[in-house]
Amino acid sequence: MEVISKSLSNYDVITIVGRIDSYSAPSISNMLDSLIQKGHHNIVVDMQDVSYLSSSGILVFLETHRQLLRRGQGRLILTNLSSNIYSILEVAGLETVFNFCDDLQSAEGRFQI
Amino acid sequence: MDKVTRKFAGNYRNLALIGDFIIEITSNEGFSGKDVYAIQTAVDEACANIIDHAYQGENIGDIIITLVSFPKYIKIIIEDSGTPFDPDSVPAPDITSPLEIRKERGLGVFFIRKLMDEAIFDFSSPKGNTLTLIKNKRS
Repeated sequence: MEVISKSLSNYDVITIVGRIDSYSAPSISNMLDSLIQKGHHNIVVDMQDVSYLSSSGILVFLETHRQLLRRGQGRLILTNLSSNIYSILEVAGLETVFNFCDDLQSAEGRFQI
Repeated sequence: MDKVTRKFAGNYRNLALIGDFIIEITSNEGFSGKDVYAIQTAVDEACANIIDHAYQGENIGDIIITLVSFPKYIKIIIEDSGTPFDPDSVPAPDITSPLEIRKERGLGVFFIRKLMDEAIFDFSSPKGNTLTLIKNKRS
């Protein structure tokens, strides 16, 4: 698994490549936590090259989403999900909880001034 | 493939190897991409639970996975030698309440039961836990 972080004008793009499972979820969690601690509250996670998402990865995104809700600012947007990954989120009843965008361009459009 | 068994050291890094193993076998057995992903998820969650709960840590013991192919279904047997894991002690996740009060614990066992046609958890001493999963082949 590889994570590439890019800070733009008023949002950050986290690109994840590979599997998000119990092995890789802690490092993704640390990266998202550190962004929020630094005051970066607008976060796009590009999942174009994510081949697998386990419950431990889902919990990381849920916790990030919750932290932003508690702070009352910013938003986490998940983009470019495969149909398999989206289906798993539907099974977990989370399709109405997360913010989704079909592609990176429309996700970034939500944050551009 | 009639029957294949593979042993993995119980650590998180090996979850990717286990995933590749499951994808390779189930794809060759004619499962759709969606079903392959579902089986991969159930096995991954089961193995993560073994490390978390049965072994309560990494590299404490092995995970033995056996796949047996039948004309209408595949049977996957996942064995560990850890402490008993009682799936009924894991509360079902709350997937309908508002996010702020929702508890997601138990999502792994929920996925295992939801995504497979059968999931039988068993424990016998001194052998350990045996999880038997069945996924039907769709014609």
